[in-house]
Amino acid sequence: MNETTSTKPSSSKTSRSRAAKWTRRGFIGAGALAGGALIVGVAVRSGNPVGKLKPIVAGGDDEALINSWVKIDADNLVTAIVPHCEMGQGANSTIAQMLADEMDVNWENVRVMDAPADGNYVSQHAARLFVGPGTLPDRPNQVGFMEPTYDGLFTQLGKLAGAYITGGSSSVRSTGQNGMRIAGAAAREMLVAAAAKEWGVPASEIKTQNARLTHAGSGRSEPYSAFAEAAAQQELPRAPKIKQVSEYRLMGTPAPRKDIPSKVDGSAIFGIDGGPDSDDLRYAAVKAAPVVGAQIASMDASTAKGMGGVLQILNMGDFVAVVADSYWQAQQALGTIKTAYTETENDTVSTAKMFAGFSAALDEAGDTGGNSKAEYGDPIDALGGAAIAVEAEYKVPFLAHATMEPMNCTAWVRGGKCDIWTSTQVPLMARDGAAEGAGVNADDVTMHPVFLGGGFGRRLTPEYSNQAARLAKAAGYPIKMIWSREEDTAQDFYRPADISRFKGGLDENGKAVCWNNVHCTEDEPAEAPLIEFYDIPNVSVRNADVEMPVRLGAWRSVAHSQHGFFVESFVDELAHAAGQDPFEFRSAHLANSPRHLAVLEGAAKMAGWGDALPEGHGRGIALVRSFNSIVAEVAQVDMTGNKPRVVKMFCCVDAGFAMNPDGLAAQMESGIIYGLTAAMYDEITLKDGKVEQSNFHDYQMMRMDDAPEISVQIINGAPDNIGGAGEPGLPPAAAAVANAIFAANGTRIRELPIAKHFA
Amino acid sequence: MGSNNLKRIFLYAVIGASALGLTACGASSPDPVEQIIVSEPGQTPPPVLAAIEADPAAAGAADFAACAACHTVESGPGSGVVSGVVSGVGPNLFGVVGRKAGSVDGFAYSDAMRASGLTWDAASLDAFLADPAATVAGTTMTTGAIADADRRSAVIAYLSSLSE
Amino acid sequence: MVSLTINGSKEEVDVDPSMPILWVIRERFGMTGTKFGCGIAQCGACTVHLDGEPIRSCSTPVSAAEGKEVTTIEGIASEDGTLSKVQQAWISEQVPQCGYCQSGQIMSATALLRDTPQPSDEQINAFMRGNVCRCGMYGRIRKAIKVAAGIEQPGQQGAAT
Repeated sequence: MNETTSTKPSSSKTSRSRAAKWTRRGFIGAGALAGGALIVGVAVRSGNPVGKLKPIVAGGDDEALINSWVKIDADNLVTAIVPHCEMGQGANSTIAQMLADEMDVNWENVRVMDAPADGNYVSQHAARLFVGPGTLPDRPNQVGFMEPTYDGLFTQLGKLAGAYITGGSSSVRSTGQNGMRIAGAAAREMLVAAAAKEWGVPASEIKTQNARLTHAGSGRSEPYSAFAEAAAQQELPRAPKIKQVSEYRLMGTPAPRKDIPSKVDGSAIFGIDGGPDSDDLRYAAVKAAPVVGAQIASMDASTAKGMGGVLQILNMGDFVAVVADSYWQAQQALGTIKTAYTETENDTVSTAKMFAGFSAALDEAGDTGGNSKAEYGDPIDALGGAAIAVEAEYKVPFLAHATMEPMNCTAWVRGGKCDIWTSTQVPLMARDGAAEGAGVNADDVTMHPVFLGGGFGRRLTPEYSNQAARLAKAAGYPIKMIWSREEDTAQDFYRPADISRFKGGLDENGKAVCWNNVHCTEDEPAEAPLIEFYDIPNVSVRNADVEMPVRLGAWRSVAHSQHGFFVESFVDELAHAAGQDPFEFRSAHLANSPRHLAVLEGAAKMAGWGDALPEGHGRGIALVRSFNSIVAEVAQVDMTGNKPRVVKMFCCVDAGFAMNPDGLAAQMESGIIYGLTAAMYDEITLKDGKVEQSNFHDYQMMRMDDAPEISVQIINGAPDNIGGAGEPGLPPAAAAVANAIFAANGTRIRELPIAKHFA
Repeated sequence: MGSNNLKRIFLYAVIGASALGLTACGASSPDPVEQIIVSEPGQTPPPVLAAIEADPAAAGAADFAACAACHTVESGPGSGVVSGVVSGVGPNLFGVVGRKAGSVDGFAYSDAMRASGLTWDAASLDAFLADPAATVAGTTMTTGAIADADRRSAVIAYLSSLSE
Repeated sequence: MVSLTINGSKEEVDVDPSMPILWVIRERFGMTGTKFGCGIAQCGACTVHLDGEPIRSCSTPVSAAEGKEVTTIEGIASEDGTLSKVQQAWISEQVPQCGYCQSGQIMSATALLRDTPQPSDEQINAFMRGNVCRCGMYGRIRKAIKVAAGIEQPGQQGAAT
């Protein structure tokens, strides 16, 4: 179901020149492993550090770091060794698909392996994305001559900060697009060169297909494995030729994911399942102080001591733990321990107080104060001259991640070594956290790769690995530490709450002339509250500094999750104030954003925008670009009952190019349901410093009987500038529904979750 | 996942600060403040039954833990329903002994429970907990039976102790 | 001591009889396919069959399994390893994303199709509402159930590779 919008051929030329630039400094490394296996890596080398970067780039000029590996073994199996975690988004399989295509290997012969979590597998691309905005590899020509220097810098930074990261919807568009494809193309060329040499024929006459080399003229045909060792001896290709879209054979197809079979027969090992083959394994239940910064003042474990299976009870200062023969026994005993906590200044923290603080900060910032995020034109003046002025304030709560698999870590500390099994999006940071907890060197920690039962940004923190390592060290056995769902809810790193105020103006033709927004959260990514793609001339976007004494973290799509709701609700209010259809209004303001317009039109068409609906039903539309993908969604809601029911969601996505269209569609469905669950039902509230919610009875989940049907349409609008899949489906969802509710019965929802207005 | 947020994580990792919730100390993590070693591995853990003889209601409280998955025992207003959503939900059992079956306001009992005509006492609770479906055919309490007679009486003793 | 049959194998376990079946399966028998999600029968990740009926094993004491047959995700395929129709449909429709909830989803779906071989959408929704999928694959799960039931044709690709 792909609609391919063609792009100018110059973009593919840019890709080739990127590879050339890349290899000018010998960025490709290759070697042979014992047994004749070829291994090829795409390396980065620190170039000539410019002045101020020099102190940070510690290594020498010859230091090479490889971050995308491919291995061919004697059985003609090709393994993609991927420095990213599989948390459901299918990225590892998709990256392998890209590799296989460049190498002309059939999908059956491909395996995927998580790269070991040691410094050599650093995702320098991820490092670049988050430390050097604007230096994205998929925006070529922006850094040009600085390229090698940045590579070196980010590699060092990445090593320092443990940037083996999965997140930012970046695995496919950076590691895949810029690392793995080049590795695959290089490997293919070296194999061809080896065969050409052996057969005494020109390389140009050799065809590669299905992991075989064939020379038609002489009738020779051999599997790749026959030349693996010889290939390693070949000269490194200066400019491996990566495929143009028209040559893609696997890329752009819904190749079945490699991890799915193990997830239907119970054999897939998640963090909570992983552990040593040891009779000494024991289990721990833990409870940390509910108020941020509090410590355990005293612990009364008199009942717990007498309970079945209990081996040890520990006060670790910041948390209490019970170690037992079984997790359930540990959790039962933990429930009987009476704990007193130290007093802290956070004991009086409440969401009510925080929101009052937000309002005060916004009052003070007014129309011009706060930190400026974008300023162009003169929105104050323009509002004064506007024919229609519109004002609105929106509010969203803190949100929990609620991964299906609660936080957990299995740690084994002995003899100066530590083994860790845990679901994490940052294995090197988790490794360092475990090393600190176990009192060993980071190099003596082995991270065992596992599947993650959901990440969504929650698993970007290392604290639970540190916790388990400390426990294992103190207790003296290998410990499987599992957080209860209650503990997981209480000790999350929450999506920030926010209040956002808007003032907008329309001229007598119903065209938006100004936009003035101030809100309270830090803007990560920085582009989240910005609206440059809309043709609105006078804009001010600011944020105010507020107190949020809560653990905050990246929640799927980060700041786009709240700004998607804020911006697209206010655009809708402007549309209605102008007396215009919300789709027409948006279209009229997208004259300079053809890709955005195409996506908006795609969604409207899918949804039958404008067709009659039953009484009490409504449609709403929303459009958000995030992580380099543009997504428009139309929600269809039924307001005839006593609660809103989202009947259908229509989603049109332009992610540049869908490497695996089924995977992209699945991740759109996923982002929509994840976002709607929160938008419809969820809030995390704090009182007396503590989170009030605990489990799925008070943090409600969307289920099969209230989830909408979802249709997804894909536009391949920019094959050389691919966007993410994991997060972009989420940001438009809440606004699409709120806008649909307004269309159905005139109720404008400005505060989430929606359910609180229909109690 | 955002650029600045991750930049913050970078900086904290590089500087070695504890802003991510790790314990306050810089270098190595602190030893336990208190460590109670109840038994070494391989030792027989203390039997649960000893507690039952001493104080049936206290033992019953521990046994009730399995029931707490679906039932609360809260005094005060509200049906105390642990979850209003799916199967596994049970009514608040505070004061259940002496109460007419199916009478907690706001809880969605099965028709069978409402029509059962039972008033809960030790005998009827014992029969119900031994085999819910046999005692009240059509009850939504499909799990939670307590096979062991001593354990049943401990839980009933505990429930009996819960009244205003 | 509790005597039960698990995936066709008669076993005796020396555990606290009130220990939920979930932990007996995972820890005593080392079968980690059945998952822990909430502990209060709210998410369905722990769903197994007890004498063929779906139960939330996190909230069912092992004493309830005395003399009965427990079936887990590891016991759903046939003896020669052929995946069940439900499992095959889960692959053809590319259902699992993170996959953590899917053992429970498959166990519930298997029980549904045993009771109701040709379920309507409403019947599917009502039966499956106890199984939460945080990755939001409800549409694919419903489609896969219908494919397994023979009501719909496989959508994406045929056999998995």
